[in-house]
Amino acid sequence: MARFFAGKGVQYALVLLFAVTLNFLLPRLMPGSPLVFLAGEDVGFMTAAQRAQLTEAFGLDRPLWRQYGIYLAGLARGDLGHSVQQGRPVAEIILGRVGWTLMLVGISLVLATLMGVAWGTAAAWRRGRPLDVGSLGAAMLLHSTPSFWLGMIFIAVFAAGMRLFPVFGAMTPGAGLHGWAQAANVAWHLALPLATLTLITIPDMFLIMRYSMLGVLGEQYIATARSKGVGERGVMFRHAMRNALLPVSTVFMLNLGYIVSGATVIETVFSYPGIGRLLFEAVLARDYPVLQGSFFVITVSVIAANIAADLLYPLLDPRVRYAR
Amino acid sequence: MSRFRWPVGGVGVIGVALLAALVLAGVFAPWIAPYRPDETTGSPFSPPSRAHLLGTNDVGQDLLSELIFGVRISLTIGFLAAAVSISIGTLVGVVAGYFGGWVDAVLMRLVDVILVVPFLPLMILLAAYLGPSFWNIILVIGILVWARPARVIRAQVLSLKSLDFVDAARALGVSSGRILRRHVLPGVLSLSLAQFILAAGTAILIEASLSFLGLGDPTAKSWGSTLYYAQVRSAFLSGAWKWWVLPPGLLITAAVLGFAFTGFALEEILNPRLRR
Repeated sequence: MARFFAGKGVQYALVLLFAVTLNFLLPRLMPGSPLVFLAGEDVGFMTAAQRAQLTEAFGLDRPLWRQYGIYLAGLARGDLGHSVQQGRPVAEIILGRVGWTLMLVGISLVLATLMGVAWGTAAAWRRGRPLDVGSLGAAMLLHSTPSFWLGMIFIAVFAAGMRLFPVFGAMTPGAGLHGWAQAANVAWHLALPLATLTLITIPDMFLIMRYSMLGVLGEQYIATARSKGVGERGVMFRHAMRNALLPVSTVFMLNLGYIVSGATVIETVFSYPGIGRLLFEAVLARDYPVLQGSFFVITVSVIAANIAADLLYPLLDPRVRYAR
Repeated sequence: MSRFRWPVGGVGVIGVALLAALVLAGVFAPWIAPYRPDETTGSPFSPPSRAHLLGTNDVGQDLLSELIFGVRISLTIGFLAAAVSISIGTLVGVVAGYFGGWVDAVLMRLVDVILVVPFLPLMILLAAYLGPSFWNIILVIGILVWARPARVIRAQVLSLKSLDFVDAARALGVSSGRILRRHVLPGVLSLSLAQFILAAGTAILIEASLSFLGLGDPTAKSWGSTLYYAQVRSAFLSGAWKWWVLPPGLLITAAVLGFAFTGFALEEILNPRLRR
């Protein structure tokens, strides 16, 4: 158990180190002055004194390893740099955005898992029948669909066309709503992006659940359960599904990066003010500190989610708990 | 054993047919397309008409021609990025699987790290620094998609390594390089081919996302770029979505599905262990 976590811990530490080092190196290894990337494109308009002051602040006149030390120390204080465009600390900007993404990704992850698991179980139970074959086809089709395009179609049909949902944003600005009215407004804005993200996440959960269920159904204890007279429903839920769930939780973790990536483009389509949309805005404005800060925070969140899933895994699989 | 056999042949035929149609459209684009894609041939934002079957874009270029020429860009980027990633993946997988020990441990750690990092934010970061260009997109996709194939190929090498003829070759004193080239690589190449097809589908989907975010090559419009301009000009808020947004998305889906079906069918044919 301790070794299991030490191994995983090393892996997450390496991922963190990779993200931090990449962020540090990118502006410094690109051709031209790193100041262009660190402080904005208007370096040409700065006075020599200003340039010297910035060079001093980032430690750009020192050896690379010293700069790395300065960079890490800043990071440890929660300093992600300053936005070129907005002139505010990057950490402050991200803090205002990250909640929306957490809500979107969190809810969609739960919904997609529940639906994918139910769908996969049903398909495996009817292996080879029309339901199963049709489901496989539908899952493959959905899997091949670009998420942002699905979002655009949803907006065109349900928001702009039928006017059932808002076209953009996370809530109606300046509506002065409070309490339940505001919650309803937020949910109304969330509906379409949530549906899009959930729909593109379901196929992964479905495919792995179906596959895992088929494996479990071939096991001898399923035959044993049947032969001792357990009803079909009991076999399906109590014996097969519970065991088939284990690989799903592993895929759940592996897919976090994929889901966060999906959220990035979907937030862009819906102008949803999360961290993915921030990434897009930063690309448009060539706001490199915001770009780097967003990447860093997204990576840290994915690592945190992985650790949470690792901690929950023993609750799902007792064998991990006892095999110390 | 089962009442029904998943129609591998059927799926493979659909996949190959989809890909063949797209490749032909790409090769013969200048003859099929009614106009040059970079020519202004109508007034901006025209709805479909006899002269422009899918209407025109924001600068009066024919959308149908843009999509037909877009086949070339999207498929080429998909193929090249997949080639880069499968080359890296095969090399890493073979080396890690064959040599084992600390080499394997280090390489697989690297694979694990790459798999955990959220790939699209990372690609956006890299593409933003490198600047939007044809080769940069290929490079960025290629150097980040190799991890999954590397894992699959390593597993294959591990099982090949335990076979008698590899042991025999080693006992006869054949050098590692020769064993790898003559005995291990041929057993892995067919699997690499299946992985290559699957990776090409992934690459097309990623390219579409990057181009949609405005990080694609501005001089060569792929399907993702067409959707980027449709988004920037708010085509999906008007009726224009039916001819400006719908077709490129359907083409992307068809291409990705074509690669996925072909890849799965190939995998099933080439990997006897998957057969029932």
